[in-house]
Amino acid sequence: MDTQLFEKLHREGLINSDSLTKISHAGTTRLFSLHWEIKTLLYLGVLLLSGGLGILVYENIDTIGHQAILAFLALICAGSFWYCIKQHAPFSRNKVTQPNTFFDYILLLGCLTFVTFIGYLQYQYSAFGTAYGLAVFVPLVVLFFSAYYFDHIGVLSMAITNLAAWLGVTITPFQLLNSGNFSSNQLIYTGMLLGLALLAAGLLSVKQHFKTHFAFTYENFGAHLFFVACIAAMCSNGEASVLWFLLMLGIGYLIYKKAIGEQSFYFLLITVLYLYVGFTIFLFRLISNTDWVVSFFLYLVVSAPVVAVLLVNLNKKIKHDRLQ
Amino acid sequence: MIAYNKQTLDNLAVKEQTAAALRRQLITTEEATAVGQAYPVNFYTPNPVIRIGLFILTVIILLAALGLFLLMGASSSESAIRGMLLAVGICSYIALEVLVRSNHYYHAGIDDALLWVALLLIGITIGFESHMSPAALYLIAAVLTGMATLRFADMILAGISYLSLVMLMVYTIIQTGLGSSTVVPFAVMLFSAGVYFVAKRLTSLHICRHYKNCLIVVEVLSLVTLYMSGNYFVVREGGQALLGTELQPGQDIPAGWFFWIFSGGIPLAYIWAGIRRKDVVLLRTGLLLIAAIVFTIRYYHHILPLEDVMVLGGILLTGGAWLLIRYLRTPRQGFTYEETDEALLADKLNVESLVIAQTYTPVTPTPPDVTFGGGTGGGGGASGNY
Repeated sequence: MDTQLFEKLHREGLINSDSLTKISHAGTTRLFSLHWEIKTLLYLGVLLLSGGLGILVYENIDTIGHQAILAFLALICAGSFWYCIKQHAPFSRNKVTQPNTFFDYILLLGCLTFVTFIGYLQYQYSAFGTAYGLAVFVPLVVLFFSAYYFDHIGVLSMAITNLAAWLGVTITPFQLLNSGNFSSNQLIYTGMLLGLALLAAGLLSVKQHFKTHFAFTYENFGAHLFFVACIAAMCSNGEASVLWFLLMLGIGYLIYKKAIGEQSFYFLLITVLYLYVGFTIFLFRLISNTDWVVSFFLYLVVSAPVVAVLLVNLNKKIKHDRLQ
Repeated sequence: MIAYNKQTLDNLAVKEQTAAALRRQLITTEEATAVGQAYPVNFYTPNPVIRIGLFILTVIILLAALGLFLLMGASSSESAIRGMLLAVGICSYIALEVLVRSNHYYHAGIDDALLWVALLLIGITIGFESHMSPAALYLIAAVLTGMATLRFADMILAGISYLSLVMLMVYTIIQTGLGSSTVVPFAVMLFSAGVYFVAKRLTSLHICRHYKNCLIVVEVLSLVTLYMSGNYFVVREGGQALLGTELQPGQDIPAGWFFWIFSGGIPLAYIWAGIRRKDVVLLRTGLLLIAAIVFTIRYYHHILPLEDVMVLGGILLTGGAWLLIRYLRTPRQGFTYEETDEALLADKLNVESLVIAQTYTPVTPTPPDVTFGGGTGGGGGASGNY
């Protein structure tokens, strides 16, 4: 905070003496925050620990140290959950702030080691027999429960990723955009339905006032998954691309309305861009003549500025709404 | 020099300061509005998310236009293609100047895209001659990005400009034949240290106030190049790649002990200095470079298998962070664990949860190989090192 600047503003009569005293007081007592540094170290530590243990367990199968490592893994997992259960703030439908940030990372450590532990049990002892889905379903339940009970958005996104994996779709943020993900029609429909379900879950969170702050995470995964699945469908089944595009347009319109209502620039942007991509594919499916390269470039030069103007206007609209 | 109206840039700084003060409720909303009216800002700067969208669209438009031009002259000569690249580059630049001057674009996404594409195309056209030496190419890059930085105060271009200068120096020394595995590192070291102190000094100067962010980028990068120039791995492998020095197995580079001490000591020195002076740039750069220490040591000395290092490092980091949080529960010596008031876009977009989802790979329900007689399964998730 530039105290000199505020002194100047004070001389110009724009700021009263009371505020100036507050500002100079804040300037002299300002503390150096190590918040982000410590948080990053903590996150890195949790990742390294759970990742390293995950490798160690598999590497040392059939050696004497193996049982010890497994016991250590179980100990960390149980210890983490024990800590969380003892320390957690009482459950509420609303956002809960846990006693300290350390809590969030211990919960994360517990969840990560739990997933490793279950995966290992199934691998080595076939604990769930031939019900392979169950080996993923059990962590899934634990993850969703932990996310809601301890109020942790990071664990919620783990749970959503796990849910998708259970259904056979990979939706970690980078792989999501890889359309090779959708190699079969069945996967495309699964992705589409899961995307819609996640969008609905986001809507319900807000409607029911049940963990309203989880809505963004649900809708974020849901919107990307749905749009990418639609685009994959348009690319693979050429004849029905009209249907897919109309579906995309319909759901896109709903997301757009919601984004305008919530004044969310982010959902506005992704909806506009996905619909633009969808429209482009739809159009070039219709006019598939041999000389498509030139017309494609021409189309881009003409259409992209239109979309840019649209974005500029929508930006203005939301900004205007925010000031109201 | 700078393309934007200086008065407006100053007003923007006032606006940002009052907004920060308002967030911390040090001033009233009425006061903030009054300041906003006295210091008007007429820049067109959309929301950061929309800025990304406009950036992508502008790049698409420019590339498609370039593609059209190239298709129209598909059979023409190399010089015609160069001419087209240059024409599109210059047109982008003119469009940028016009948008900044008459439409007051400032960090709008469109201007960023125009600037980068213009520089890239002009740079490619000049550097198209295949017989140019690396030093000449880096000189072109440094001059182009340097001029663009002065005019538009773009942080990323400032960084590219600085790095090009460092590479220019390395290649110039090599070309003059003076290069050896000790001269080059020490020259870069001196240069980086010099740039760091100059940048640090310039940040506090009034005439450099519009370039503060650029100078911070240069500060960070000069600290990094200072470390890299004395890092054992960089000196050893870089020396072999650039200078062609041959090392026999078991042979060490000259003054190897010095570079080992440097590799391990500098990040710690950065962290120490960062804490002593409460300097975020030094502290964070030092923390980042810890990874470089681990990498360098592990590359030459296989003390422990990777997973053991991960587990040990994990325990150390988690435990250390826990101790620090406990220690800083009440602020000590001007340090706190509490969050500062800066509103971060990263928080709003839940970036952390996305990182968690990205780094986490769920177990997929694939049946493992059928095993007979209770032997160990082959494959199936493990890296199989038995």
